[in-house]
Amino acid sequence: MSTKDRFEDIVRKDLEVHAGDGTCDCMRRIILAAYGSTERTKIPTFARRMVMDKRVVKFALAAVIVAAVVLGLFEFLSPVGSSGVVWAEVGKKVQASQGVIFRAVSRDTPDPHGSEFDYRIDHYTATQSRLDKYKGDKIITSIYGDCNTKTTVLVDHIHKSFVKMADQQTMPDTLRMDPNSMVQRFLSCKHKELGEQTIDGVLCEGIETTDPAFHGGKNPPESLMARIWVSVETGYPVRIEGDYGRDNGQRRFTFVQDQFQWAVDLSSDSFEPNIPAGYLDISP
Amino acid sequence: MLVPDNSRAIEDEVLKWRFKRGSREALSRIYEKYVHLLLSIAMGLPNDPHEAEDVVQDVFVSFARGAGDFRLKGSLKAYLAASVVNRVRDRARRERFRQNQRDGAGAASLDLCEPDERLVYDERCRRLVEALAQLPCEQREVVVLKIKDGMKLKDIARLQGVSVSTVHGRYRYGMDKLRALWDGEV
Repeated sequence: MSTKDRFEDIVRKDLEVHAGDGTCDCMRRIILAAYGSTERTKIPTFARRMVMDKRVVKFALAAVIVAAVVLGLFEFLSPVGSSGVVWAEVGKKVQASQGVIFRAVSRDTPDPHGSEFDYRIDHYTATQSRLDKYKGDKIITSIYGDCNTKTTVLVDHIHKSFVKMADQQTMPDTLRMDPNSMVQRFLSCKHKELGEQTIDGVLCEGIETTDPAFHGGKNPPESLMARIWVSVETGYPVRIEGDYGRDNGQRRFTFVQDQFQWAVDLSSDSFEPNIPAGYLDISP
Repeated sequence: MLVPDNSRAIEDEVLKWRFKRGSREALSRIYEKYVHLLLSIAMGLPNDPHEAEDVVQDVFVSFARGAGDFRLKGSLKAYLAASVVNRVRDRARRERFRQNQRDGAGAASLDLCEPDERLVYDERCRRLVEALAQLPCEQREVVVLKIKDGMKLKDIARLQGVSVSTVHGRYRYGMDKLRALWDGEV
């Protein structure tokens, strides 16, 4: 990193101000009160909207949480090279895997909105992705990503709405949140071996890193721990987990990826946004 | 294996859409998402902690009151950051006016107050804000908005009403001076 970049990092990191809890709550009350007074003046035209809004409240919360999970995952991913001996084979296998499906569970703490979904099922190829969010066994939101067209589509299946966003110029450099890039990063970062352990009935070997370089982003967490467990038999990852802390541990982000299906031949149909007729387009 | 990086933008579009339609949850989420960033920007422009808190609160209250007429095609984050900048400028102008009325002096000193328990920041932040305070305000705005908010130079140029090359120069000179001040202290 150049001196210039380092100093930019210093400014970015050190110019950090937070409102204390009491101040934060007080400001929120004042702001919501101001909003409330606006709402009251708009009752006549607002009544019809409220019918729609009740649908949308849940949708937005769902979208917020999905986005928070995705954004959280974005934080600790970046391109890196491979290293190691046995583990280098893992890196190669994962890179060669055309498609992967897995379950992802993550939590932000504190999470004032509460966790509204239980887990995500993520699908990835080299250029496309689909993230399905589930509550119980019911799919509630899907996010489709396509790096070729640089578009993302969010579909809310409960409230029958969708948002389409396009033209993200920075996308190719910042989108590496998939298990492949995580594996490469594990291999290139300073790590320690955890030995053997049975994970979900599979004999695995694991490594753990607390190397800040694993984050790779511009705003790394204050503390970081990530582990990967790889099947001794197949050489594919079985579980990836992490715990990041900020603000002296007051804010935490934890994640687990498991139930992997590697080397899946995912057709492009899997990534075609499923938007049933009648869904409301709320794209900008 | 890649996934588009615009989920933040998607979330903001949903929040904007819901905010316009009267969702308190959306406003609350926008507040939670951006309050700390805006406080950091307000501190860096610079303000004292009380000023920073007032500015950010004013921006959000104004934002909340304008829900009915809210129309925004662009980035919510950039909009809020620009609102902070404009609010800081307004307050500085008012303060200069008051100061001129009081004693005929020039611009008010925006010195730092004692650390405020209501806002949380560390010693390095305080020193950085002191260093930023020594930059001309145009350079300070560019440095803070580009680094802290991630705003593009062309958007800063629009906000400042100057060319992109001018903004680029302000950024370069500002960073050089800030680095010199910082290195001198460390």
